[in-house]
Amino acid sequence: MSLAVQPIDDSETINPEAVRRDFPIFSGSTQPRRFHYLDHAATTPKPSAVINSISDCYAQCYAPIHRGLYPMAEQATSNYEHARRTLQHFIGAASPDELVFTRSATEAINMVASGWLKPRLERGDVVWVSRMEHHSNYLPWQLVCQEQQAQLRFIELTEDGQLDLDGTPELFAERTKFIAITHVSNVLGTENPVATLCTTAREYGIPVLVDAAQSVSHIELDVAEMCCDFLAFSAHKMFGPTGIGLLYGRQERLAEMAPLQVGGGMVDSVGDGMEESRWAAIPARFEAGSPDMPGAVGFAAAADYLSSLGHERVHRHIVSLTRLAAQRLMRIDGIRLLPHAGLPASGIVSFTHHNMHPHDMAQIAGEAGVAIRAGHHCAQPLLRRLGLTATARASFSVYNDESDIDALIDAIISAQRVFCE
Amino acid sequence: MIAQDLYKETLLEHYRHPKNRCDGPIQDADAVERGANPRCGDEIEIGIFLQDENIRHVQFRGRGCAICIASASMLTEAVAGLSVAGTRILCEQMHDWFGDIEPAAGALLPNGLQALAAVRQHPARQKCVLLSWEALADAIDKAGRE
Repeated sequence: MSLAVQPIDDSETINPEAVRRDFPIFSGSTQPRRFHYLDHAATTPKPSAVINSISDCYAQCYAPIHRGLYPMAEQATSNYEHARRTLQHFIGAASPDELVFTRSATEAINMVASGWLKPRLERGDVVWVSRMEHHSNYLPWQLVCQEQQAQLRFIELTEDGQLDLDGTPELFAERTKFIAITHVSNVLGTENPVATLCTTAREYGIPVLVDAAQSVSHIELDVAEMCCDFLAFSAHKMFGPTGIGLLYGRQERLAEMAPLQVGGGMVDSVGDGMEESRWAAIPARFEAGSPDMPGAVGFAAAADYLSSLGHERVHRHIVSLTRLAAQRLMRIDGIRLLPHAGLPASGIVSFTHHNMHPHDMAQIAGEAGVAIRAGHHCAQPLLRRLGLTATARASFSVYNDESDIDALIDAIISAQRVFCE
Repeated sequence: MIAQDLYKETLLEHYRHPKNRCDGPIQDADAVERGANPRCGDEIEIGIFLQDENIRHVQFRGRGCAICIASASMLTEAVAGLSVAGTRILCEQMHDWFGDIEPAAGALLPNGLQALAAVRQHPARQKCVLLSWEALADAIDKAGRE
């Protein structure tokens, strides 16, 4: 593991077939034919580099971290903290102490809502989210607003699925205490101008949390440039293991935050009875319980893997593929693309068909070896606003190529034959 | 044709040409109840028309996937003419069959419902089948209270 991984290949374009070979799930004997996985917005397969790094932890260096004094425990601790530093560089944080390992992006957001915002939120205060939030960056804020009798308000969307910032003049008003915004929508694929928004918010002294779950796998993150106070993402959506996520918080913000969970490893001195206990320093204060060292190591291996592919190249490949998919879907009679999907700026294209339910399309596609998603994508406030209850969604990654789009289009046409004749 | 196991021709026929489906509100029913699946947005309304202790006629309206619509359409045919008590038992059998509580329950069901059997292999779609049956059970309860 190195802290600043350079792309292994300096050519301009990605070779999807070569990248695909890094992922054992696509060559496993359980796959009778080519498996067209197009559900990356939900979760991503794992490359051997990640799988092996985790397996090595258990096979070669496994011991309690931050606790044992014998050599293997020291090595395990060092691997865990090395993973934190790898991720620090991956997102451009000033210090490793600004990174807290969590179970998921969801847990990270809940920690901020309950541990930072709740004690500061008063009756009548306003918290803003966008109309396109995933439930995980919506419900924690809704709950805390309900508890504190504050208001939760939406930044609505324009016709083409962008944030309607011009239509939200009260965004930086005095009662605004917090803004939570997704970097990339998991339904529309819209990339939001988070750096502009965070920079302005900072001028007004309003903290912003950016949900980077959908952007981390293909957009280079730089928290200093983005100017956010908090940022959250999970490992499993960027080729890393399931069950671990990350909260970035500016040091002064984390210092203000109360721990959501207490227990082993997060405390310096424990008081007798009703005597007060003293919490450990940041970030250990927020990592109660035995930390997930193999998960953290796998997480860092995923960051290294992505860096070795090169963010720019990955992003270009995914966007051009998604645009091609959108163009070809549009040509199918009855298909309607969701706003902004006409020219996707990320790896997601959502669509509906006037005569087929998304679940039926996804079922037929699934049986043809094409994995797409159907449903509300945990974004009910958005779908309600769009007048929809469910969509089909294809989301692309670095090893997808035109043959995956061919298979998707064939599957939708097959579904039409089944349902529309 | 792919997916022939799940989307049997009988099922597709009911989806393409549903029986006893209303485009507007169900009028003059003895009871109307609605079932909704917020996960996929499916919504089915079932209206029952009684004659003494029997189900004379059933109508449905709503939107849903092929399985949801076909199940509602098959329901309207399967229960027309049954006694209220018999219909209630049929609702319970459907629930047990699809909830995997009683795998043998399928054998007791009328032929007109057998095309739904394949859906049991797809746990994520079982709610699609049961939506209309749950609304029917609710409608029977409602009629009994009134």
